[in-house]
Order: sequence, then structure tokens, then C-alpha cells
Amino acid sequence: MYIGIDLGTTNSALAAYDGTTVRVVPSAQGELLTPSVVRIDRGGTTTVGRRAFRFLESDPANTRGEFKRLMGSSERLAFEASGRTLLPEELSAAILSSVLADAREALGFSPQAAVISTPALFEVPQNHATTRAGQLAGLDQVVLIQEPVASAIAAGWAADAQGLWLVFDLGGGTLDVSLLETRDGWLRVVDHGGDNYLGGKDFDNALVDWALARLGEEHGTAQLSRDNPKARRALGKLKAACEQTKIDLTRQEAATIATPELYLDPSGNAVDVELAVTRTDLERLVSGLLDRSIEVCQSLLGKRGVPVSAIERLVFVGGPTLMPVVRRRVGEALGGRIAEGVDPMTIVAQGAAIYAATAGLEARPKATPPPTAGMSVRLEHPAVTADIEPFVVGRLLPAEGERLPARIRIEREDGGPAVEAAVATTGSFVVQVGLERHKQNRFRLRAFGADDKAVPLRSGLFAIVHGMSVADPPLSRAVGVALSDDTVHVYFAKGTPLPARRTFPHLTVQAVSPGARDDVLRIPIVQGEFQRAHRNRLIGTLHIRGEAVRRSLPAASRIEVTLELDRSGQLRARADVPGTGESFEDVAHVLVPAASAEVLERETEAARARCADVRRRAFVGNLPEVVVGVERASALLLEAGAGLPAARGGDADAAQRLHRLLLELNGLLDSAEERLEWPELEAEAFNAMHACLSWVAVFGTPAEQKMFDQALEAARLAQEQRQPGELDRQLRVIRSLGKAAYARDPESVARDFEWYSAHISDTTDVRRAQALLDEGKAALARRDLTALRSVNHRLWDLFPGTAQERRLSFGSSVH
Amino acid sequence: MRAARLECEKRWSLHRANPFFVLGLPADATRSEVEREGAKLLAMLASGIEGAERAETPLGPLTRDAESIRAALAELRDPERRLAYEWWARGLMAAGATPR
Repeated sequence: MYIGIDLGTTNSALAAYDGTTVRVVPSAQGELLTPSVVRIDRGGTTTVGRRAFRFLESDPANTRGEFKRLMGSSERLAFEASGRTLLPEELSAAILSSVLADAREALGFSPQAAVISTPALFEVPQNHATTRAGQLAGLDQVVLIQEPVASAIAAGWAADAQGLWLVFDLGGGTLDVSLLETRDGWLRVVDHGGDNYLGGKDFDNALVDWALARLGEEHGTAQLSRDNPKARRALGKLKAACEQTKIDLTRQEAATIATPELYLDPSGNAVDVELAVTRTDLERLVSGLLDRSIEVCQSLLGKRGVPVSAIERLVFVGGPTLMPVVRRRVGEALGGRIAEGVDPMTIVAQGAAIYAATAGLEARPKATPPPTAGMSVRLEHPAVTADIEPFVVGRLLPAEGERLPARIRIEREDGGPAVEAAVATTGSFVVQVGLERHKQNRFRLRAFGADDKAVPLRSGLFAIVHGMSVADPPLSRAVGVALSDDTVHVYFAKGTPLPARRTFPHLTVQAVSPGARDDVLRIPIVQGEFQRAHRNRLIGTLHIRGEAVRRSLPAASRIEVTLELDRSGQLRARADVPGTGESFEDVAHVLVPAASAEVLERETEAARARCADVRRRAFVGNLPEVVVGVERASALLLEAGAGLPAARGGDADAAQRLHRLLLELNGLLDSAEERLEWPELEAEAFNAMHACLSWVAVFGTPAEQKMFDQALEAARLAQEQRQPGELDRQLRVIRSLGKAAYARDPESVARDFEWYSAHISDTTDVRRAQALLDEGKAALARRDLTALRSVNHRLWDLFPGTAQERRLSFGSSVH
Repeated sequence: MRAARLECEKRWSLHRANPFFVLGLPADATRSEVEREGAKLLAMLASGIEGAERAETPLGPLTRDAESIRAALAELRDPERRLAYEWWARGLMAAGATPR
């Protein structure tokens, strides 16, 4: 039995898959969805799900929902009456415990392992917190799956669909759009897109804002404004009423937002709210949000060069996609081939359960098998595969005195044809078995000696399900080490199949002495696509502390850093110091940083000024494409401004959302600035091409000269098409060829040495650099260029970037 | 000269790690054959079966592990990237031996 759990922002669901059918397990109240809401009363009693949900609007101080959006942060959520505070992952654990208890009731055993779904754009800290929640709920094994992949597995499981799919997952807080491909039964995630700031909650908020404006016109807004912490309860009630009205409008043409005695007006009179709203009103209010969501899809398709006509199927996931206007507008914009028979509310849980089977994650407690006589055997085969004739690989492990069988036979339990294979002298065998399509195929392994007598085996029963195979999950965002010059050494590019592990050498930029408390080498690990390290999200820091080292580690020591990501995107890191043979695994897993309202306010103002500056420069420079680029930044800025009152009012979720929004906004402004620097880049390209041309023409090999010509042509094309990224890439090739040719000029060594002499103030270790300069001067005096080149190499190690760059790069101690 | 030699060695090992060579398959292998061979090699490596960790390529022997096999599978699943590898594998195979 395999278990999948959709741990949602608003609702959660659990599905069980037995190898043939998948079913959603109902809650104790008989519902397929469990509201992701936790309540702790005065006596400390915890209630979860539907019973807690009933108190969400009437007792918000002791009832919490939507904490998934805070996963991975250190924000403790308070339950006032009991005085308890809990982390978001602890609240998620309460939800998981509840759905697992329902599963125990329905299935007759306590699941020990499960697959839990997370949004595709979740980063390492959020994934880490989700795994931790699973462990807190009593699961021994937790594997994570990206929600869109789970949806596609469930939607495509039974169908023999071929081609491209678009999964449109509009959750409570985020929009995830995924392009998937199924071919010959294999499912592959082609690419992701999304908007971290667009979800069903925004649709509710559009209605809340409309209601607030209407109430303001009638009664004044001071009492019921978003930045008034005392209005939290009333706003919560209004929000719940708006959400209900939105749901009502999915089935009927008109509804009423009704909440009696919502708040007191300036004269102290209770205000009853009763606002009539039609489906057309709602559609008008959310029209802009829908435009944005369609843009996200079109931008993803554009990036991959996929025309709308190539989308074979469109899968809707999430409660907000039940709104007719969402289905109509998004469906029309994306070709209209909407997948039938899909329940948008439980599809993720169903896909997660099927994936649990693919990953071989059996949920039943592992019973110790009764001791039976016979030879041990180790079998390797897929639990689920699209291959109709998969390989089964095995190794027989005879005890002392036992003789290896000569051949094995794999028989079908339903009496179908058997296959045989010879056993190698090492006990191994490799054999292909035939599967019946879309069902569980059960087999028995038997072994025979050279005399054809059966050799008893300790175990030999196994099953393979024929179904959709899922390619290794791809990494959603690049992961790398932030270097001291504020650049990133990318270890795993976006899309790397997981699990993955890579090691790269680095040089330290500061010394660490044994026992010195204040000496700490920091190796920041970041996630994101930006070239400048500080624009990315810090997800962990590997520390090498003075207290932990046995031998002193001078600046410019070589260390080897290994990063490892498992299938769920969990990070492990290690630093090895080859010089001393020591290893360090002291990784501080960084939480999503706390975002105080004051800091956010300052950052928003700074972004506003930067945005205006970029726009002005774009106009002055007559760069219309940059003006267009700044438009999206301006839209985000507007949203940031709209989010500030709620952050000021103490809404931790709004503060986190604003923090992420500002990161994205600054990233957009970075790109715009890059484009603004186009004239500079062009001038730089011109100079680099001419400088390198002379080096390559004189000192380059014929092969290098040919490659140089190709790079020049590509750079010219990039210039024509105004592609800064591509021009930058070709410039790197041109420079590296130029550098190789330059290095062959006998005078280049002396010129490099002169540069180091002129920049000695930038070094990490002035004393060592000075000693090296003295050594270099002596080598230069006797024209020993080999010795001078060696000096240059050692000097390079001592120039790791400026103090400012290092500070920005999370205090990185490596380059 | 040293830089040129290093560059040459780098390119050589890059071509040797062509996913078709890693999996020991010809450049015209179908998607199903690629997946099947990858699954078989991963199972053989997990069982510690001799030979799975080594492949012969037209550019010399290659050591492979579970990670390089998964990476090769991921590369060949992308049709555009596969095309480039097919082109190189065909050219190199025509010049040398067929991978085993």
C-alpha cells in the first residue's frame, strides 16, 4: 500500500494506492478534504481540520490557517488562550497526524512512509520544513514530490496520452504552471513557470478590497483598515464571507456578502454588512489577475518555443480553478483541450500516492519475515514502469557451504510464460520479464542446480506494476556556493535530475587558527538564477570554526566542497581540507529570513527609487525594450505598496510575501540595468574583440583561430539581435581564447606581475603578497619567466574580490 | 602548449561522456531502449554486478556510476539535447569503434 499526501495551504488530502486503484481516504467527518486549520483552546486541547475551521473567523487568536505559506521561517504562531506558540512545521505536523489517523482507521495500519507534495517553486528551507513536519507526525520515511508532477501522474496514469501537457495549478497563495511531456509512457517535466504572489487568496482579496471600498463610502474606513491591528478579527470575518461568496458565485449568478455586526462605526453603532455582488462583478474584479496568470503560461510556452496548438491537454488543479471564469478564460487562451474526469481538489494527493509506488515507498510497517530455510537473494527491479519488458537483476547470496544454482526461472503467478537465465559464477543474473499492460504483474523467482533439482530460496515473490514511469525530478532552481567576489559557483543548474552530488575545489580568503573562537570560515550555499550572489536566496551555510580545526588553515588554503541533493531536494554539504585531512559537515540550515515591517518599508522605498531611476535612464537612452521590462517591476512595486499595510498590521504571512516579492523585484531591476548597460557592453565587446584578435592572430593555434572566428560571428549575431546574455557568453569564449594566446607571449608574465604590484592593497594577506612580490622582482631581474609565472599564480589566490563584495556575498570566505 | 593540451584533454573527456557512450548504446537507440538500458545499468550497479561500472567508448574506457547514468538519461530525454549528442556520437563512432 502506498500513501500520498497533498499538504495544502487551505485543504489537505490523503490518497492510498494498492497497485491497482487509487482512492482518497475520507476524514472522520466523511469529507475528502481536511481544512489545513489548527486550533488550541484555553485548556491546551488541539483540534484539527473541519472542527477547527469552524472557529477560524470567530476565534482567530486561537485558530490558525494558511501556515504553509510560512513554512521554513522561524515565525512562531501564537495561540493566545493557551499561551502556546508553534512553528509552521509543527502546525503542518498536526495536519499530517490528523490525515494519517484517518488512514489508520480506513486501512487498518499506521502508515510509516508517505510521499508529500510541495509547490514546484518551494526552495530548500521550505522542503526541509515539510520533511521535518512528516517526521514530527511519526513518518519514518518522507519523500517529497512537486505538486505539478503529482497532478500529471494522476491525470495521465490511466490514459495512454502522448505529447505536451500544461498543468495550471492555482492554489491558495501561488500559481504553478508546468509543461510536461509524456512519450511512450515516460513522463518528463519540461519546464516550470509560476507566480509566487498570485493565488486564490488574491481573488478573495480583490473582493475584500471592493467590499472595503463600498463600506468606506457608507461608513468611513478608519475602523476597518488593513493596517489597523485591532481590525484583524473583523477583517478575518469579512474575508471568510467574501471567500464563501466567491464559492457561491461558481454555482450561481448572484450572491451576497453577509456578516452581521462586523464592526463598530465612528459613532459606536454595530455595522451589519450585506453587499450584493454578481458573477459579472467578480469576473471584472479578477480580470487583471487572470490576465497575469495567462501571461505566466504564455511566457513559459514562449520560453520553450511551444505553440499553444501543441498543448495536448490542459489540467486544472486547485480550488480556485473551479471558478467558471478561470476555466473559460485560461482554457480559451491555451487551446481549450481541458483534461476530463480530473478532480482538481484531490488530484495532487492521488498522484503523490502513485508516485510512492514508483519510488517503492511501501507504507505498511516492515514486518520481520518468519525465518525460512533457503538461499538469500537480492532483487533489483522497478516497482512501476512504462517498459513492457523491463529487466530484473538479481544476486544469489549462498551461505557458507551452499552451492550456487546453475540457472533461475521467473514464473508469472497467473500462469503466463516463464523466462529463464543462467547464473554467473558470482551469483548474479540479468533477465527480461514481460508485463501485462496497466496492471500489477506478480512473479515468483525459482532456482535450479546443474542437476535440475530446485534450490529453495528464502524469498522470491515480487510484483511490477505497468504504468507511467516518472523521470528523476528536476531541480527547480540552481544551487551553488556564493563566492567572495559576489558571484556564484553553480554546482547544480536548474533542471539537474535529482539525486545529485558534486565536488569542486575552492580557495579560502581568510586564515583560521585552531581554538580561535572568532575564526569562522563561511561557505554560503545559495539557490537562484542570479549571477550576483546576494540576489539569490541563502539556503544554508557551511561553517569551519576555529574551535573545530586541529591544524591552522592559512588564507588561500585549498578546500573541496561537496554538495548533495536527494530526490526531495534535501541538501547536505561537506568541506574537506586536503592539506590537513579534516572534514566538516557543520551546516546551518537557514530559515526563510524574518522580515520586519520597518526593513520591508525601507526596502520598498529603495526599490521604488531604483525603479524610477532605471525608467528615467531607459527613456534618456531611448531604450524602449527596457521601459517594457520595467513595467513588470512597476506592477510588482504596486503590489509591494499594497502589501505594506498588512505587514505593518502584524500579518506575518503578508510580510513574508512582501519579502519574496522584493527579491523578485530587485532581480527584475538587475536585468533591466543589464540592458541599460548595453551600450557599455557593446563597447566592452568591441575592445575585447580587438584586443584578443591581435593576441590570437599572433600567438593562437590554427584551432584556436578557427574557434575565435566562430565566437566572433556568434557575438556579432548577438549584437545584431541585442541579446546581452548571449553576447556576454561569447565574450567569455573570446576572452578565454585571447587569454590562452596572450599567455604564450613571453612578455605577458611581466605585465601580469605589474598589475598585481599596482593592486597590492586589494589582497587578503598583504604580508604574503609582499613576500611574493619580492620573490617576483628577483625572478624578473634574472629574467626567470617560469619562476615569475609561478609567483603570479600564487598571487592570484590572494585577490578574492573587494570587502564590499564579500559582505554582500553573505560573508563568503571562499573563492 | 600546456594550455592547448589541457583544452584538448577536456574536450576529449567531454565527448567520452556522451550519454550514448555512457549507456553503451548506438545513436539511433529509441527512447524505450534508452530508458530500459539505463534502468538495467542502475539495477546492476545497485547489485554490485561486475562490468556495470565500466564502459568502452570509441575514445577509450569510461568509468560510470549511478549519477552519471541518471545524468545521461536526463540529457537524452530532452529531444533538442539528444539531437546534438546523436550528431557527435555518430561522427565519433564513424571514426572509431562501436561502444560496447
